[in-house]
Amino acid sequence: MRREYLTRIKKPSFWVLTLVVPVLIAAIYAVPVFLASQPPERSHVLVVDDSGLFRGQFLSGRSVVYHDAGSLDYAERQLAQHDSLDAIVYVPARETTLPAVAYLYYRAEAPSVNVQTDVNNQLQNILRNVILLDVHGIAPEDYALISSTNISLRAVDIETGRDGFLKIKVVVGVLLAVLVFIAVFMFGSQVMRGVMEEKTSRIVEVIVCSVRPFQLMMGKVVGIGLVGLTQFSLWVVLSGGALGCIRICNTDLFKQVEGHRVTEIASKGSDATRQYEAAQYRASQYEAGVGADSDIQELLEGLGSIRFGILVVLFVFYFVFGYLLYASLFAAAGSLVDNETDSQQFVVPITVPLLLAVLLIPVMVGAPSGSVSTLLSIIPFTSPVAMLFRIPFGVPGWQVVLSMVLLAATFPLCIWLAAKVYRVAILRYGKKFTVGDVFRIFMR
Amino acid sequence: MLQISNISKSFGNHVALNDVSLSVRRGTVLGLLGPNGAGKTTLIRIINHIIQKDKGELYFDGRPMTDKDVAQIGYLPEERGLYKKMKVGDQAIYLARLRGLDRVTAETRLREWFERLDIVGWWDRKVEELSKGMQQKVQFVVTVLHEPRLLILDEPFSGFDPVNADMLKREIMRLKSQGTTVILSTHDTASAEEICDDIVLINKAKVVLSGRLGDIKAQHAGQDLDKIFIDTVTYKL
Repeated sequence: MRREYLTRIKKPSFWVLTLVVPVLIAAIYAVPVFLASQPPERSHVLVVDDSGLFRGQFLSGRSVVYHDAGSLDYAERQLAQHDSLDAIVYVPARETTLPAVAYLYYRAEAPSVNVQTDVNNQLQNILRNVILLDVHGIAPEDYALISSTNISLRAVDIETGRDGFLKIKVVVGVLLAVLVFIAVFMFGSQVMRGVMEEKTSRIVEVIVCSVRPFQLMMGKVVGIGLVGLTQFSLWVVLSGGALGCIRICNTDLFKQVEGHRVTEIASKGSDATRQYEAAQYRASQYEAGVGADSDIQELLEGLGSIRFGILVVLFVFYFVFGYLLYASLFAAAGSLVDNETDSQQFVVPITVPLLLAVLLIPVMVGAPSGSVSTLLSIIPFTSPVAMLFRIPFGVPGWQVVLSMVLLAATFPLCIWLAAKVYRVAILRYGKKFTVGDVFRIFMR
Repeated sequence: MLQISNISKSFGNHVALNDVSLSVRRGTVLGLLGPNGAGKTTLIRIINHIIQKDKGELYFDGRPMTDKDVAQIGYLPEERGLYKKMKVGDQAIYLARLRGLDRVTAETRLREWFERLDIVGWWDRKVEELSKGMQQKVQFVVTVLHEPRLLILDEPFSGFDPVNADMLKREIMRLKSQGTTVILSTHDTASAEEICDDIVLINKAKVVLSGRLGDIKAQHAGQDLDKIFIDTVTYKL
């Protein structure tokens, strides 16, 4: 066990992976907040409208500023002379009732997708307003009031009054489920490869003179499991440290992002024109994918609503017992073969239950407390993935306890069966074991 | 020292050992001979408690053999290996500690052995950088490091050049002179004739010839052990 642990801990790959994950987590956390806090790069667009419908109607926003330019010739000269100008929007004279095409001219470098989307949204909105007013007699201000209704549905626990934040819980649940799947599979595979290494290098016969095959197998399983726990602990500590540092070093930045939406709404007041502009602005910014402030705020609030202490404890439990269960089976698989290619016939049946739970995540997303989710979270071979997915949504206590008890009771059985196989197979060279052989060993 | 009494072992329908009995005298070298598949390795694994016997008894120092007695055996298997990615010194210490030695004792003894066999420079090299013969030397050192009272060597000369094979023979004789009992399983009848006191020939799961080397040779008109081996096995076929 000591050798398994120390050998792996000393590998550079262990430390690379240990450091890369917290850096990625910190980046995922910090980059959107940082980007949201940065003043957007402004693009300047000249508007030439020969249709007479769009002049003076384009609304400048945080990222795109519009300037009426009169004629196309004048605009082209301006574009050639000033590097700060990015493009010209040209709407030709009307031949029919409404213009069917507009052009976005540029020099050398095409305007960004954000600019193109903003221009397109503005064209659509202005044209829609014209139709609303001319055909239906609805003023843009009235339409803005109608369309700016912004009611959000929030799922709230009636007993605790806590917000549901379902989207965020889905994300956290999926992350946990996938993480435990990857961890169990990754460290379980290491156990299998370790056993195969000892078998193929023929060192196993020397070792089993000193330790029993069961001790050898369990030493490997526990040693590699401890490597996993060490890595997980380092991830938690380093990620927590990194996030804490980012948060402390950028307190103003976070306050700014979190408070942005509140001040924005307050500043709009009740003035219909301002609300109209705000609605237009929000629409264009939202569709351009720029105004993600409120999403970030919801993300931060949602993450705050999750009880991470319990989550970490349960993750450790399901990882440890899920790993012990699967790693013992991987060890048995490793003892049955002389090379990695032959191992597939045993690896596939072993991983099917865990893989099935991952593949059924979309079904569980639809109904986290449904019968499929409940069943999968109680069956020991799927519960590490399924229960961890469900935990953020809240799971009845009896289901969690039943799931944990069944998992804890099943892993000794798996280890016992795996040890039977291991003891017989580890010193048998040249024989190709079949699944039938394995069952015969089970029955001995 | 070691008494093997009526040992039998089968794998499914295959009989690996059939009522095998032999005795190993303290402080001697016993040559365990036999063609491939005769049952020698199975017998050695049973002595080491790696596999279970179906029938029979093992006696160590005159009493039924226990797991504790296995700790007094040094075993160099025929199918031997080392962790390829580990450094020689670390690996030798690891295997010595599995045999119950503390780190300091293990390192002290290892340094002595490495100096004696002139392999001190290999301490920090990875096993995969060593040739097969070099690895054999390390494996031999690891086998004898815990100063076993009974040394079981399965084909110890395979992979060695004549110079190193000779060095190994000298080390075996030196250990014998210090009181170690040795079981030497080999196809190399010339080497067996050179260093063995007693011979046991196993063929088709049974002991077909056993006794002191001198007596056996006398019974066969002073023929070489090689000739005796071939004649006995061929006759029994």
